[in-house]
Amino acid sequence: MKKIFIAIVSLLLIAGCAKTPVVPASELGGGVIMDPSLTDPAAYRISVSQPNPTAAQAQIPVVICSHGYSASTFEWDEFRTWSNNTNKYYIDQVLLAGHGTTYAAFQASTWHDWESSIEDEYNLLVQEGYKNIDFAVSSTSCTLMLDMVHRGVFNNASTTVHIFLIDPIIIPSNKLLSVVGIVGSMLGYVTADNAPGEDVYYYHYRPQETLQQLENVLNTVRTELQEGITLPKNVYVKVYKSIKDPSADPISAVLVYNGIKTSSGGRIDLDFINSDIHVFTRLALVPNVTSLDRQNQVYAFTDITTRIFQ
Amino acid sequence: MIKKTLLTLLFFTGYLAANAQNSVLDVGIRMQKEIGLYYENGFTLNYSYKNLMPDKLYFGLTYVSSRFGTAINSNAIKQDNFLFSPAYYFRKNHLIRPFVRVDVGYFDADYGSKIFDVLPSKTLLLSSDLGVSVQTHCPLKLSASLGYNFITSNGTNNVPGTIYPVFYQLTLSWNLLNHKK
Repeated sequence: MKKIFIAIVSLLLIAGCAKTPVVPASELGGGVIMDPSLTDPAAYRISVSQPNPTAAQAQIPVVICSHGYSASTFEWDEFRTWSNNTNKYYIDQVLLAGHGTTYAAFQASTWHDWESSIEDEYNLLVQEGYKNIDFAVSSTSCTLMLDMVHRGVFNNASTTVHIFLIDPIIIPSNKLLSVVGIVGSMLGYVTADNAPGEDVYYYHYRPQETLQQLENVLNTVRTELQEGITLPKNVYVKVYKSIKDPSADPISAVLVYNGIKTSSGGRIDLDFINSDIHVFTRLALVPNVTSLDRQNQVYAFTDITTRIFQ
Repeated sequence: MIKKTLLTLLFFTGYLAANAQNSVLDVGIRMQKEIGLYYENGFTLNYSYKNLMPDKLYFGLTYVSSRFGTAINSNAIKQDNFLFSPAYYFRKNHLIRPFVRVDVGYFDADYGSKIFDVLPSKTLLLSSDLGVSVQTHCPLKLSASLGYNFITSNGTNNVPGTIYPVFYQLTLSWNLLNHKK
């Protein structure tokens, strides 16, 4: 009996110990590699490179692009490349708080911080005078955007705000996230199976605190969708969802579609994409990319850049 | 096919119950919560035959649905669970009785639009739960258990995404056959 008691106490002590990984300097989170938008923000954010737009520039659509949980601005680099320095619209890549930097900064961030990164950039662009601001966001940024819509951030928008949701996550594919609040502190962190090269752009070590934040925002927005979100008059939403997705369960599209009504009581637009890639618009470093994957990417980019003028 | 099988089992259980003297037929309501997702409530029927480990071995039929839980007046997915559940109850004639149960069944979700026909909406269910039953001196029973679903979606395996791994349930039932302790 005494041995069992000692074993249990030992287990509890081990479980209670702080667990922090040693992140190699060659990986994001190791304190050496930083997201380039932190050192050269003007190359990523139109609010920095062009803070005083002319009347004509202010009319050009700005597409705010933000990424998913544990990712970085890299996730939308291909959209910028594909856009090929167009003068028809601007691209503004937002880095979510706590991302693209150190493990400790990531660990300390909350989902409210992540959301503030997008909202602050939107407010800054509005303040600078930009008239047409749209969003193309992926994964967890979709969840954050839906919360912003629910909170009424766009209720007073004077022109149409187009919101394009790429592989939104409401239900995670890994269902064990649902018990992270119970077992998280015993784990400390989890590791991600990143593809070769991805560790530079995506955190390999994911603190359990951030997983709890992820679980919290998913539950919050799922509840908001269950209660129903009605879009303001000037907000347009379209969802693009891979029919198979190892990160954001495809059923997330059902919850988003059924949970949102347009201001006139209609349905939002939804395209299922024949893909098994999470965030199918980012193909760089994805192994075994097919021609269909490339077609899907071009389809989404073309559709987004067409609809922002409608 | 699976629904037919469950209905056949239900009729078979009813037939046995009608002919029983010392058998047990608990009928009740079940409240279930998937940790991290929906409340799913419904009905349950558990039968123990007098000639087959009476009051120890039970066979249960259960229907729980989000229709009677989170999906009431909300946009939550309407999903139905049909379960056949053999269970073994320990400590016969005690007030508090631990039990172990295996649940096999069928899951069907209604996504509300044909646009979602590309997604899986049906699957087999396999779970197990451990719990305790409080058996009072009247026909009333209260049981609670913690369970684990072995079949869940990983986003790519053609299993509906709203089956979560860990759940707990509370059942309140009444023995219709044998009111003597």
